[in-house]
Amino acid sequence: MRKSPLLVLMAVLLTACGGTESPAPQASGSAQARTLTLWHYEGADSAMGKAWAEAIKKFEASHPGVTVKFEAKGFEQIQKTAGMVLNSDEAPDIMEYNKGNATAGLLSKQGLLTDLSEEAAKRGWDKALSASLQTTAKYDERGIMGSGKWFGIPNYAEYVMVYYNKDLFTKHNVAVPATYEEFTAGLDAFVKAGVTPIANAGAEYPAQQIFYLLALSKAQRPWVDSYQLYKGKVDFHGPELTYAATTYADWAKKGYVDKDSAGIKAEDMGVAFMSGKFPIMVSGSWWYGRVQSTVKDFEWGSFLWPGNQMAPGSSGNLWVVPENSENKDLAYDFIDITMSKEIQNLLGNSGGLPVAADPAAITDAKSKELVENFNKLSGQDGLAFYPDWPAPGYYDVLVAGVQGLINGTAPDAVLDEIAAPYEENLADIGG
Amino acid sequence: MRRYSLLAALVVLAFVMLFPFLLVGLNAFKSPEEYSSAGPLAFPDGLYLDGIVAFWERVDFGLKLWNSLLISACVAVGAVVLSVLNAYALGIGRVRGRLWILVVFLVANTLPQEALVYPLYYLAKQVGLYDSRLFVILIFTVIQAAFGTYLLSAVLGRFPAEILEAAAIDGAGKWRALWRIVVPISRPTLSVLLVFFFIWTWNEFFLPLVFLISNDNQTVPVALGVLQGDRLMDATMSSASALLGIVPAVVFFLIFQRTLTRGIAVGAIK
Repeated sequence: MRKSPLLVLMAVLLTACGGTESPAPQASGSAQARTLTLWHYEGADSAMGKAWAEAIKKFEASHPGVTVKFEAKGFEQIQKTAGMVLNSDEAPDIMEYNKGNATAGLLSKQGLLTDLSEEAAKRGWDKALSASLQTTAKYDERGIMGSGKWFGIPNYAEYVMVYYNKDLFTKHNVAVPATYEEFTAGLDAFVKAGVTPIANAGAEYPAQQIFYLLALSKAQRPWVDSYQLYKGKVDFHGPELTYAATTYADWAKKGYVDKDSAGIKAEDMGVAFMSGKFPIMVSGSWWYGRVQSTVKDFEWGSFLWPGNQMAPGSSGNLWVVPENSENKDLAYDFIDITMSKEIQNLLGNSGGLPVAADPAAITDAKSKELVENFNKLSGQDGLAFYPDWPAPGYYDVLVAGVQGLINGTAPDAVLDEIAAPYEENLADIGG
Repeated sequence: MRRYSLLAALVVLAFVMLFPFLLVGLNAFKSPEEYSSAGPLAFPDGLYLDGIVAFWERVDFGLKLWNSLLISACVAVGAVVLSVLNAYALGIGRVRGRLWILVVFLVANTLPQEALVYPLYYLAKQVGLYDSRLFVILIFTVIQAAFGTYLLSAVLGRFPAEILEAAAIDGAGKWRALWRIVVPISRPTLSVLLVFFFIWTWNEFFLPLVFLISNDNQTVPVALGVLQGDRLMDATMSSASALLGIVPAVVFFLIFQRTLTRGIAVGAIK
């Protein structure tokens, strides 16, 4: 019997894949050759990418004999596979992971993340981070954020602000508003001139953040604690959400947001603003670096949503140390370096929003504006997290709800629609 | 008159098919500033290659290409061999209960991959093959062979019995009949299967995403996912990466295009 050439080919190929399989085992413990495996998913040109590249350099300089094996990951890959990876011996020593109950909270509940409480106290991370930033770093035994043990350390923060096109503001004689009344008067002026004032994206997060801003304008901190941390009952037909729904519907009618914006995606909204088509975009600091580097044709600036004590915002994603990490001590050292003034200032000067920078060291004018607005918001305890956080899958519920408002569904019906999944989740977690 | 309207319809259809490629090509050579100020549909001012170069270096694209090639080639060859062996038993050998076996294969085919993930994950950890290319090759060999078996069994079920009888009279055993007679005669069908398996495996995203953890083992589609951030995307670099991702599959298709058309044309055996 002759061997088929196909079989031979296959055998050769299979041997070829077998050859390079398992990576060399890590020599943990020995002083000479240690490796810190590090994963994150920030772009190399982003503020975090730049700051962390510098942190790796600093770490290697202060830890002779340790090499950092950095692997750039995709957000989706981490989001989908983290639970499985961390439960195996392929887990990295330190990684960036998504904040929130469904992500970091869930993994902490499953015992896959290392408790960082002791290190946080010893190294002073707990003092460097303000109270509302700590909310997303701590998780209780149910995996719900806000209290309990430290499972992650955020390096950066984010918040939602109003980006505006200074050229269009001057052209239409609109001043930067200090109060909510001035703000709506400005919006009216744009509408009168035939310009849709606010770039909106109903198919993704931007529309619901405007909705949440409107609710926050009537809310106090206890309402946010009830809504986000289940510390009390939320009345979906109470003054906060009723105001938000009716006002949003009203805004769509008045033409503050485009009537066709229900199907627009965030990326298109950003591009439309950056090409100068809209005077205003309401969105998060994650756009800041990009707006800064792309917009060349007009002057732009940002301000906090007028009249609000609070705005959507929180810490950024977290450094977590997997329970299966073989080099936890090195991982702690690395986090400590990312929290140092030098790295934090670099993050701030690259267009990011540092959590523990020295405000005087932020030299870039635009970055200064970003950091100062954040400090103002954070100083008045104004980080109210994001509207889709309270329940799994709530993001899509809110997208559909706000799209309804844009398309003319009655506000009351929309409130019922978004109340049901929230209450259901509340019953599930026994809140 | 009818010919022209048909031609016009085909031109429109071709344009609709090619439009996404056109858009990717257009944006791959644009700088991010140009994209943001002029939008996705404008023609680029000049050739901007930084996006492609930066992406190539960032993900070590050469290595990803090699991984994808290795995995797809192993799977294509392995799955065809497995399908032939199965189909020989089911289609020509007429095993008892073959209808039910085929139904099982068909059901296996319609199973969503999400349902397979956890069982496969525990299996991979048990046998120590988590995060290895070999494991992905094994999974896809089986998945593709399920479809291959189903298809080939139908084809071989109509294999002319006279030829096999003649071979048996000449003293050929079952094994010899398979490799000397059945395989050469059904070669066009097998080549088509090979090409399909290769391209399908090449485009697989979900299971490689889950099972190829370290960057050194990842395939091209998984590497493309690196660019998708939490809230932001880099449209021009994504286009550049998409272009790099499509090119190999298109090249492969062009090389084997003749095999494909021939395989489809060969319907009956004389």
